[in-house]
Amino acid sequence: MTLVGYSQDAGVEGMWHAAFVRSPVAHGLVRSIDVSGLPADCVALLPEDTAGLGRYGCQLKDQTVLADPVRFVGDIVAAVAAPTRAAARAAAQLVSADIEELPAVFDPLAAVAEGAPLLHPETGDSAEDKVSIGVRPLAGTNVCHRFRLLQGDVESGFAEADVVVEETFRTASAQHAPMEPHATLASWTPDGRLELHTGTQTPFNLRDDLAGIFGIEPERIRVIAPPMGGSFGAKTFTRLEAVVACLARKAKRPVKAVLERGEEFVTLNRHPAVVRVRVGASSDGVLVAKQLDCWADTGAYADCGPGVATKMGYAGVGPYRIPHVRVDSLAVYTNLPPNGAFRGYGATQSVWASERAMDLLAERLDMSALELRRRNLLRDGDRFATGEVMRDVHFEECLQAAADAVDYESDPSGRGLCVLLKGMQTPSRAAISVERTPVGYIVRSASCEMGQGIRDSLRLQGAALLGCEPGQIEVPDPDTDSSPFDTRTTSSRSTHMMGRALAEAVRDLHGNGGERGYGEIANDGGLDPDTGQGIASTHWHQGAAAAQVSVDDDTGRVTVERLHAAVYAGRVVDRAGAELQNEGSMIMGLGTALFESIEQADGQISNANLSDYSVPALGDLPRQMTHELIEREGAEVHGLGETALPPVPAAIGNALFSLGVHLTDLPMTAEDVLEAMPEVVG
Amino acid sequence: MATAWLAPDSLEEALDLRAQRGGEATVLAGGTFLGILMNQGFLRPDTLLSLGHVAGLDRIEVVDGELRLGAMASHREVERSRAVQSGWPVLARAFSLVASPRVRNQATVGGVMADADYASDPPAVLAALGARVVLRSARGERTVSVGELIQGYYETCIAEDELLVQVRVPPAPARAVYRKFRSRSSEDRPCVAVAAVRGLAGLRVVVGAVADRPQELPEVCALADESLPDFELAAEIGRRYAEGIEPMSDSRGSAGYRRKVIATEVRRAVEGLA
Repeated sequence: MTLVGYSQDAGVEGMWHAAFVRSPVAHGLVRSIDVSGLPADCVALLPEDTAGLGRYGCQLKDQTVLADPVRFVGDIVAAVAAPTRAAARAAAQLVSADIEELPAVFDPLAAVAEGAPLLHPETGDSAEDKVSIGVRPLAGTNVCHRFRLLQGDVESGFAEADVVVEETFRTASAQHAPMEPHATLASWTPDGRLELHTGTQTPFNLRDDLAGIFGIEPERIRVIAPPMGGSFGAKTFTRLEAVVACLARKAKRPVKAVLERGEEFVTLNRHPAVVRVRVGASSDGVLVAKQLDCWADTGAYADCGPGVATKMGYAGVGPYRIPHVRVDSLAVYTNLPPNGAFRGYGATQSVWASERAMDLLAERLDMSALELRRRNLLRDGDRFATGEVMRDVHFEECLQAAADAVDYESDPSGRGLCVLLKGMQTPSRAAISVERTPVGYIVRSASCEMGQGIRDSLRLQGAALLGCEPGQIEVPDPDTDSSPFDTRTTSSRSTHMMGRALAEAVRDLHGNGGERGYGEIANDGGLDPDTGQGIASTHWHQGAAAAQVSVDDDTGRVTVERLHAAVYAGRVVDRAGAELQNEGSMIMGLGTALFESIEQADGQISNANLSDYSVPALGDLPRQMTHELIEREGAEVHGLGETALPPVPAAIGNALFSLGVHLTDLPMTAEDVLEAMPEVVG
Repeated sequence: MATAWLAPDSLEEALDLRAQRGGEATVLAGGTFLGILMNQGFLRPDTLLSLGHVAGLDRIEVVDGELRLGAMASHREVERSRAVQSGWPVLARAFSLVASPRVRNQATVGGVMADADYASDPPAVLAALGARVVLRSARGERTVSVGELIQGYYETCIAEDELLVQVRVPPAPARAVYRKFRSRSSEDRPCVAVAAVRGLAGLRVVVGAVADRPQELPEVCALADESLPDFELAAEIGRRYAEGIEPMSDSRGSAGYRRKVIATEVRRAVEGLA
C-alpha cells in the first residue's frame, strides 16, 4: 500500500485559503467591484491586480486571469484569500460586482446564427492568439475552430448510393464528478519562483500557460502534481492555478483553493453537441458516402474545444471504408461554463450519432446491423478517411466478441451493437528517467496518477525490464523541476507512450553502466484542419459494445439486461487495472446513455449538486455486465482508459431501436423512451 | 460572520432555546438537506440549533401497539429496526429505498418530515399509514396528521417555538405497498411514489413526489368496497388518480409524463394489495 497525499490535503505553515467571487450573469461588462465590506484580515484580488498579465488558453489564448467581460454564470471576477476557508468564503460573499448585462446565447446552433451575440469579437484577429498549430477560428463569429475532412466527392457518392439516411442527434453536457474536487496550493519563493501543488493531468502545459501569464521563463515555475482523486479530463490545462497564484503573490504567502461540489459544475464540463449524419450505401450494404456536421458547444472559452471538435469529426467517420467523406466540425462559443476534455473526448458525441445512423441504414437496407458493419469495417492495410494506413486492426474481432456476448446472431431483438475507433494525442512526446537506488530504482516521469494506475503500470513494466520486484521501483509524483518532459496524461496514451519510453530508458541504463538511463519517444503526425488529411493517430483505440435491454411499456423505464464491451488491448500490462478501466468506462457510459445531463436556464446551472445531478450507482448496473481485453501475441501495449465509454450509449440506443424506439438525443430518459414507444396493436 | 452553533443536551433546553430564538435559529437534524442548501449558498443561517445531542430523541419504540419514531432516529435505524420490520414492513421498505446507505445513516425521521420536501419518500407512506406527528413547545404538545403538517412546498404547520419530536404510527394494516418509481438513477428521489394500504377503514392511496404535498383522493379510494380490487378496478383507480392530480414538472419528469406514470404506478400498487 502506498500512502497517498492528494492536492486537497496539501498544506504549509502560514497558508491562507482562497474563495472566488463569481459572475451572477451570463454575459456582461464589469463596471465596478465593491470590496468596501471586507474585513481587515483578508486580501482581495481585483482587476487592477491582473491588468498587466498575459492571456492564456491551451489552444487559443482567449482567457484572462479575472474575467471582464464575464462570459458565463460563475465566471471569476475577483478572489479573496483569508486565514481560514470559512473566512475566505464569508469574505467572498461580501464582495459585490456591478455588471452591465449583455445579450447571451446558450445553444451552439443559435450561437452560429446570424446576429448572435459574440463572446470573443476578437476571435481570429491575431495569429499570435493561436498557441496550437492548426486551430482555425472564423473571424467575427462564435466559431473558435473549424475542422474539415474531405475525401473523394461526397455529392457524387450520394448520387451513386441506393439508400441514403439522414438524422440529427444531440448529446447533453455532463460533469466529470471526480471524488476529489479541483485543488491547488500556490506559493512564491523569496527569489520569485512560483511553486504549485495542484491536481493536474497536464503539468507542462500548465507551466507554459503560467509562464505566459506572468511573463517569466517556464523554468521559474515548478508544478508538482500529486495523485488525483479522479479527474476524467476535468483537471486538464489551467483551471484555478492562475487565480490562486495571483492571490498568493498579492497576499505574500501561500494560498490554497479547494472547490465546492457546486463550483465543479462551473469549472469544466463535457461539450454538449449537435451531430448531423448523412450516410449512403449501395443496395448490397456497401458504404459509399458519409457527411458529418458537428457543432461542439465549447462554452465561454475555447479550452481544448478545437481538439475535441477535431476528434469528434474524424471519430464520427467510424472504423469503415468509405470512398466519399465530408466532415465539417465546429467548436462554438456559448455563454455556458467552459467545456473541455472528458473521458471519451469528442468520440462519445459523434459515435452516438454515427453508430445510431448505421442501424437506421441497416433497417432501410433490410439487413442485419451486424452484417452491415462487418461488410464495411476497416481491415489491416486499409486507408482511413484521413489517408493513413491502418495497422494492427481488430475492429471485427471486437465487434464479433460483443455481438456474441449477447447472442446477437440468434436473436437481434432487444439487442444493439456499436463499434468505434478513437485516436490518441498525436503528435506528442514522452520522456522518462531511471536511476539506481540502494533498494532498486527510481523512475521519474510526468505521467500523472488519477486513479487510472499509471504508477502501478510503470512499476510492473519497469520490474519486467529491470529484473526486479515492482515494489523496488519508486515512482515519485510528477514535478516539472525533476521529471522529464511529457506532453500530458490524456487520451489513454501513458501506458503506451511512457511504457515505450521506459524501455528506451532501461536500454540506455544497461548500456551506460547500469546507474542511470533516459528514454524518449515521440509520435509524429497531425491532421491538416482544412482537409483532415494526415496522421490522426499513431495508435488507434479499437472497441465495441453490445447491449440487451428490456423496457417497461407503461413507464418507458429501460433495464439493461446485458452489457458487454470488447476492447483491443494488444498486450495487457496490469490486468486488474485494465479491467477496472473497462468497467469504469462502461459505468460512465451508462450514465451518459440513460440520465446524466447538466441542466441550465438562462445560463444558470440548475442541478449543480450530486442530489439533483444523477451519476450511476451500484443499483444502476446492468443485470449482467461483462467485458474483455483482446490480446495478441507480440502486440504492443494499447491504451484502453476510455475506449469502453463511447460505444455504450449507441449500443443501448440501437437495442431500443430494435424494439421500435428511435431516439436521437442523449440521455435516453424513461420519459423520452415512453414518448417514442410504438403504439401497441391488439 | 460565522454561524453560531447551539447544541442543547436535553429536550427542555432545546425547547427553551426554540422559545427564545424562534425562527432566527435554524433547526438542524441530520443535515442532509440543510447541508446542500448551505453548500450552494441558498441558505446562510446565523444560528443553527442542533438536535444531535438531545438525549432520547432517537428512540424507536412500540407503545400499546403504536410505533413511535423519535425525530432523531436515522432512516437507517428505521430501516433496520426489528420492531419496524416485523410490525410495519412497508415503512422499513420505504425508508430502505431512500438514496444510499451513507445518506440514510445521516438523514432523520424528524428532518425529512419537517423539511416537507415534495420529493422525499417517507411522507407518502406515513400519510397512508395514518401517522401522526408530535409537535412540542414550552407551551405544550399537539399532534397533527401528515396532511396537516405539510402545507406546501417546504412549508409546514410547525410554529416558530415548536419542535417536531416524534412520529406515531398506528398498527399497520395487513396489506400495504410502497412503490417508488425512479426515472433516473437507483439512488435518485422518486419521480412518482405511491403508498397504498388496505385496513379496516378501507383503501388509502397516497401519491408522493408529484405535487407540493402528498396527494390523496378519498372519493376515488371509496370505489373499492370491502372486496379486494381486481385488475379493472385497480386500473380505474389509477386513471382517476391521474386525472385528479395536477402534477408538477421537474428534472425527473414533465407533468404529462408524471400523469401517465401515476396511472400505472397507482394501478400496480393497488394490484399489489391483493
